[in-house]
Amino acid sequence: MQRKLVYSLSGILLLAVSLMAITLGAGFYPALGLDLRGGISVTLRPVTGQAFDESSLDLAVERIRERVDSFGVGEPEILRQEDAIVVNLPGVNDQQQAIDLVNVTGKVYLRPVIGCANPVTTDPVTSIVGTATTTGGTATTAVGNTTVINLPTATTGVSATSGSTPTSGAPGPARRINSVPPTTDPASTITSGTTLATLPATPPTGGTAPTDTASSDTTVVTGATSTTVASGATTTTGLPFSDPAATQVLPTRDGGRCQVGPSGGTGEVFVRDSAAPRIIGGGWGVTVDLKTGGSGEGVWNALAKECFNGTATCPSKQLAIELDGQIQSAPTVNAENFTGSVQITGNFTKNEATKLAQVMNSGALPISLQAEAVQTVSATLGKDSLRAALIAGAIGVALVLAFMFAYYRRVAVVVLLGLCVSGTLVYCITSFISRFYNGVLSLAGVAGLIVSIGVTIDSYVVFFERLKDEIHAGRSIRNSAQRGFKAAFHTILVADSVSLIGAAVLWYLSVGAVRGFAFYLGLSTLIDVFVAYFFTRPAVLLLARSKFMSGKKIMGIKTSADANQALGASS
Amino acid sequence: MTEVLTPETQVSLHRTARARLYHGETRVDFMGRKWWGIGISAALIVATIVSLLAQGLNLGLDFNGGVQWEVPAANITDAQAREVLSANGLNADEAKIVTVSASGVERLRIQAAEQPADVRQKVSAALATAAKVDIEDISSNSVTASWGEEITDKAVRALVIFVILVALFIAWRFEWAMALSAIAAMLHDVLISVGIYSILQLEVTPATVIAFLTILGFSLYDTIVVFDKVDENTARFAGSRLPYDDVINVSMNQVVMRSLNTSLAAVLPVLSLLVVGAGLLGAISLREFALALFVGLVTGSYSSIFIASPLLAAVKGQTPKYKAMRGPRAVGVDLERLVMGGSPAARREAQRLRSARAGDAAAVGGASANAPEALLTHAPRPRKKKRR
Repeated sequence: MQRKLVYSLSGILLLAVSLMAITLGAGFYPALGLDLRGGISVTLRPVTGQAFDESSLDLAVERIRERVDSFGVGEPEILRQEDAIVVNLPGVNDQQQAIDLVNVTGKVYLRPVIGCANPVTTDPVTSIVGTATTTGGTATTAVGNTTVINLPTATTGVSATSGSTPTSGAPGPARRINSVPPTTDPASTITSGTTLATLPATPPTGGTAPTDTASSDTTVVTGATSTTVASGATTTTGLPFSDPAATQVLPTRDGGRCQVGPSGGTGEVFVRDSAAPRIIGGGWGVTVDLKTGGSGEGVWNALAKECFNGTATCPSKQLAIELDGQIQSAPTVNAENFTGSVQITGNFTKNEATKLAQVMNSGALPISLQAEAVQTVSATLGKDSLRAALIAGAIGVALVLAFMFAYYRRVAVVVLLGLCVSGTLVYCITSFISRFYNGVLSLAGVAGLIVSIGVTIDSYVVFFERLKDEIHAGRSIRNSAQRGFKAAFHTILVADSVSLIGAAVLWYLSVGAVRGFAFYLGLSTLIDVFVAYFFTRPAVLLLARSKFMSGKKIMGIKTSADANQALGASS
Repeated sequence: MTEVLTPETQVSLHRTARARLYHGETRVDFMGRKWWGIGISAALIVATIVSLLAQGLNLGLDFNGGVQWEVPAANITDAQAREVLSANGLNADEAKIVTVSASGVERLRIQAAEQPADVRQKVSAALATAAKVDIEDISSNSVTASWGEEITDKAVRALVIFVILVALFIAWRFEWAMALSAIAAMLHDVLISVGIYSILQLEVTPATVIAFLTILGFSLYDTIVVFDKVDENTARFAGSRLPYDDVINVSMNQVVMRSLNTSLAAVLPVLSLLVVGAGLLGAISLREFALALFVGLVTGSYSSIFIASPLLAAVKGQTPKYKAMRGPRAVGVDLERLVMGGSPAARREAQRLRSARAGDAAAVGGASANAPEALLTHAPRPRKKKRR
């Protein structure tokens, strides 16, 4: 029994000390929320009345994260809470910048590729990618002194096949590729022609000077008008903003860049949720169904025709699938006319194929988000709040401890140590969560922790009052401690269960700050139960056996020995 | 020879009220004073309802939608701020400008109707110029009205589900009567806290909502500790046909010290937040939390003693079982004997007193034979535990 108690006590102390050592050693610390360090918080929600599904929101979160990361904001917090997305950008002060940063449309554009450059070249300074110039689409003219032509077929390895099916080996792909009688469908080409007619035809001319000045990336893309290059270069710190009406240089997923023409269609040509990763011809690919009629097949085939023929708008024969300023894939078009479905194959990994399918699905049902709440907290205000909360918290704890010592005398040492253990556990767990789960400690969380001091102290009060009752009832201290803990722990469990239910309900059903508060309330309640059983119990039980508590007036109460003495003297 | 000892010296071990409180020897007739508690609460609730109907709540930006800026007020006046607003096309007359002072630093808090992002940005820049500070020192906050509604809806939904779950939990763990009383006491706390916010026209912010939710948790926590004791005493007095009012009185006397201690321990940090954090150091955002928490903690402690328990007695006293046991409440020494009942110290003390009075045969006779302690000097034989 005694040995078990010693194990339990030393176990939890060891746990606390080693956790603290790991936390300090690894340099973890609790990340502070916006309200404590300043920054901008934007809450986005889909524009009301618009149909959307879960996955497009998830994708939006992912897109926002990519954008925010590309701009190098430190410790951003991007959370999806039901249908709202909360983006916290600590250290950002420019509201407009913040709103732009999180402004993802989820719109997928289909844009003809004019030419591409890959970042990995042997001599980046001189590698100039000449884009296709002539209308035949076959000729690739080199520009500049050294000519390195990097068309992405090799590295990105993407090509679109349609029509004739992949041969053997593919698990049942034939069904999915409803392809098409080649080229003999004048009707559909006519509709496509009208679509493209509205687009500014800007055949890139080879030989214009490369003017990508702002870019630190030395890969230079030429062949476009100078304005286009400039637009590509303005946002070298992060992902560029998509401008579907212009010719732009946009980054690809693998780090390359492509110059793409104005958008010829959106992801809405695809049937919603029809895109799926498949094994096609021995490798991973994506199949997707086209909507029938002019808005689906019509638009797509118009683009496909341009690209298949390598016309001036699409000299590279590639069709880029762009999402929020990033080219997700730029497959070469291998057929002029598609009916029913499209198949994209290449050297995809399973993940890449899945991701691409996800993008195409979300593009079929784009979601437009609206900033519902934008909050800026100045850094000074945040720091003041934090300092005040810490000082006030420390004074509060000191007062409580002074009260405990005054009331329970030296037994309150257990409270002091117990608070240290609880505090250590809370600090370490908060740090771990900040580090691994991107959680932050906000002012609401701090408030939750301060309130939980009261709850934690209550466990000791319940226990000690019980202990007093038992001693008062004439039991030995040793016996009292055991009986008292049993009864008190029962009460603590019931009462803490209610707190936990409250914290859990709040956590699941609320948004924003309330959530942070609920989390820390729940966390400290759990730690309270844990510490009560593994620290307070062995500590008091062991003290009850030692001389420490066998003094004349433990907790200011006459022990039974004293009482018996008094009785003996009086009678 | 007649009895000369006063009731206090008969069984009490300590003379001063403080010592009796400390040693758990109180014998306050809580149930006899329940109308005080109910009266005070009823008055507060009436005041709350009147105030809510008359002036409502002072809902903050997050509930009504709009924009708010906070500017260091050293170099800018109210009028100058209004000029900035109207220069940027805002209706300066409708804007609400207050000065919030935080230990030495005064800040202007400017609230206006919803504005598009570019206007917000322009106003921020203009305010920074006017106040001669960096734009980084300006806090701004913009919320659409629909978002505020959504937060409120979510909070209300969370509250309803929370109440249902907790009621089920208490009913399962204890009994339905306790679940009803605990929830009623909790709603009482929320109502009174909201009332205080309405009467004093304090601004309701999301922080306040969080604090109110905490109040619910704390109020229930406190009530459950009391009820746990009642539950225990119900089992203890199961064989003695003791009126339920007495069971509650005994339980309250036994937990009153714990309740006071816990409340003090919970209030001290919050008070420190309020006085030191918000008052001396001037963290405005802390004040919103701390004030609501303070109000809630005080009402929570009060209600678990003065509202939840009398309610429980009223509900439970109506059940056929306890209706049959109704009788005059034990007060004074009788109550004290019940509170201390079964403790060896109390028995020893009783024995000592009896032996001191040994000469007085009359006193030892009839009167003490059917005194409550004759029934209760020992705990009843433990009963088989009912399945809960």
